[in-house]
Amino acid sequence: MIELVELTKKFKQIHAVKNVSMFIEKGEIVGLLGPNGAGKSTAISMLSSLMEPTGGDVRYLNKSMLKNPAPLRKVTGMVPQEIALYTELTAEENLRFFGRLYRLRGTELNKKIDEVLEQIGLTDRRKEVVNKFSGGMKRRLNIGVAMLHDPELLIMDEPTVGIDPQSRNYILETVKRLNSEKQMTVLYTSHYMEEVEYLCDRIYILDKGNLIASGTQEQIKSILSTEKTILVQANRLTDEFVNAIKTNPTVNRIIVGEMEITIIVPKEVNIFSWLIKLAEESGLELSSVNIKTPTLEDVFLHLTGRALRD
Amino acid sequence: MTWNIIKKQGLQLLRNPQQLLLLIGLPIILITILGTALSSWMNGENPDIRAKVAFVEHSNEKEQVEQFIDGLKETMPSGELESISGNVENLMVIDTLKNDIFGNEEIQEFVELDITNPSMLNQLKEDNTFTAIIEVPENFTYNMLEKIILDKNVEPSLSVLYNDTHQIGGSIVESIVTQFQEQFTLSVFVNKNELDQSVLQMDEDGIIGEVTTINQKNSITSKDYYSIGMAVMNVLFIAATIGSMALYEKKNLVFDRVILAGVSRWVYFIGVFLSGALFGFMQLMIIYLFAWIAFGVTWPNLLAFLVVTVFFSIAVGGVTVLLTALSYRINSEMITNFFSSIIVTIMAFLGGSFYPIGDSLVVIRTMGNFTPNGAGMSAYLSILRGDGLSEISEHILFLLIFAITTIIVAAFSFPKRGAVK
Ligand SMILES: Nc1ncnc2c1ncn2[C@@H]1O[C@H](COP(=O)(O)OP(=O)(O)O)[C@@H](O)[C@H]1O
Ligand SMILES: [Mg+2]
Repeated sequence: MIELVELTKKFKQIHAVKNVSMFIEKGEIVGLLGPNGAGKSTAISMLSSLMEPTGGDVRYLNKSMLKNPAPLRKVTGMVPQEIALYTELTAEENLRFFGRLYRLRGTELNKKIDEVLEQIGLTDRRKEVVNKFSGGMKRRLNIGVAMLHDPELLIMDEPTVGIDPQSRNYILETVKRLNSEKQMTVLYTSHYMEEVEYLCDRIYILDKGNLIASGTQEQIKSILSTEKTILVQANRLTDEFVNAIKTNPTVNRIIVGEMEITIIVPKEVNIFSWLIKLAEESGLELSSVNIKTPTLEDVFLHLTGRALRD
Repeated sequence: MTWNIIKKQGLQLLRNPQQLLLLIGLPIILITILGTALSSWMNGENPDIRAKVAFVEHSNEKEQVEQFIDGLKETMPSGELESISGNVENLMVIDTLKNDIFGNEEIQEFVELDITNPSMLNQLKEDNTFTAIIEVPENFTYNMLEKIILDKNVEPSLSVLYNDTHQIGGSIVESIVTQFQEQFTLSVFVNKNELDQSVLQMDEDGIIGEVTTINQKNSITSKDYYSIGMAVMNVLFIAATIGSMALYEKKNLVFDRVILAGVSRWVYFIGVFLSGALFGFMQLMIIYLFAWIAFGVTWPNLLAFLVVTVFFSIAVGGVTVLLTALSYRINSEMITNFFSSIIVTIMAFLGGSFYPIGDSLVVIRTMGNFTPNGAGMSAYLSILRGDGLSEISEHILFLLIFAITTIIVAAFSFPKRGAVK
């Protein structure tokens, strides 16, 4: 349905998006995963015609949308990264204003407002000003506004940033429901790999403007087939212990948390006993040493040497 | 579509009590404070206000009086003649005006009389520091004595040219001239000069003659003055308010939504312009309504008042859309902040919102009339003084040109498609 062809965006100082090619098929939930500053919002802005790319093309139904984006705009709903609402207005007034922008009016508009309020679970809060809403409710209305004109494609830019887990689950369920019940195609952008892992059929991973991986979850995780991930948890960590692991030639990558270390080593290497000995020597008590099933986080770590969230 | 945007803007303003208080409450408070505190100053009771009056005589008065007495010798009985010629000084009416009236201590406190000769006349008319120019035509005294004593049918008249931009001084001078006229027409002159009342056929209208008033028909009170001053200043804040709301729409990506909905950015642009103009108009009307109810500021020419308000509001719309476009371009609050903290103050100062500064400084008045608030203020003051549309057409034209210019500059600075981010 939609295709990005070697899309590129250069700002004055930053090459924010570099030759990114992606496609989205009808009915899919596609994830765009990447840490902050990866270029996700920039890529989305170009896709949705808000920003002109420095190079490349955006194609919808095999037509370039760069010159005349109207057909694409008509079928896309955009959930911006910010709460793009009038906080002094009520939920209903917001929906009415944006609905009018889409040239809805009269009973059609009223019906649509009721429907959207139902979908985002704000029916009984419709007369309240957005200022009074919790972060989660604002995010829900932010999504609702994008659905007024029955878009075929919903583009969501980090729709769950800064909200409580409950609201987050509500939003994830809503996305799933929209996809299964209304066959809505979704491009879901996030830096939370669990969300993308939970929701998406196919995933693109973006880092520093580059697509570093793409495919179904299985395909992406198979990148790790030659490596394994070991999670070490201890009562505390010492520099000596960490440095010893870092300098071990068989260790490919390491990421250090507060009380745990993730280590990536080639599949055939066995460093269990070495680790336990090392801990003893350093006077640490290991609470667990596990081989993890790989996550997207691990894939990202494998590909970039960094954690998805810093 | 545009209406949708304006309506939303109105709702936003209404839901912002602090903003509303600032836009409506503040000017009302200021009018009350300034209008009350400075009322005595405005009414000319304060000696700090000085009006400069130029006095031009086209011929020597003493010679005229002597010439008149010479002429009487042939016809008048000698007794009567003596009583007249013994009082030569008292026949010099212009002298009375110059020395007794303008020379009065109280009056001298705020009127400075500048006696000049006729060759300076053109230069005086150019010089805006004069509040009024009193011109005594040739043979004025001679003709008047003929009229008073010989009952001849002549109409000597004093011409007084008022500077239309001196709001306060003008009314002072006018009251002095009127006082002079009354002093003449009533028997004061007669008694003072011990002339036979029967000789003097006082003609109430004829003596001082016509006073050529340019724009000094009604006087302006301090409440009038500050109602206008605060209204034209504070309406500029609505431009800044709507401008910063528009920038916020860009920053929180609402503007993206507007564009994605397929609404042309020019529709949005027009929406911002019309919001500025419409809400500016409403703000002005509310302030003037208050001024009317609380202070009795009434408009003698309602049509002219409405025309000025409409054009001034359009200029405010222009400012709004210009501030918005520039803010979008540099993507920062800086423009509206700078405008509402510094530019508004300067423009209000030049335009005379705080103090009729243009009365004494020509350069500033000229500059003031090239600000929208200053032009609006001058036009409003003219209307209060009794002028109609034709007298204020210059200001209206300026407001229109100003609005068009700001809209054009705004349109060119408004970021092009895809460059908004
Ligand atoms: N308008 C802009 N001008 C200059 N640099 C920008 C602009 N927008 C984004 N960037 C930069 O481009 C990079 C990618 O940003 P963004 O697309 O917002 O990342 P993400 O959405 O993945 O967090 C960042 O380094 C950001 O600072
Ligand atoms: Mg982003």
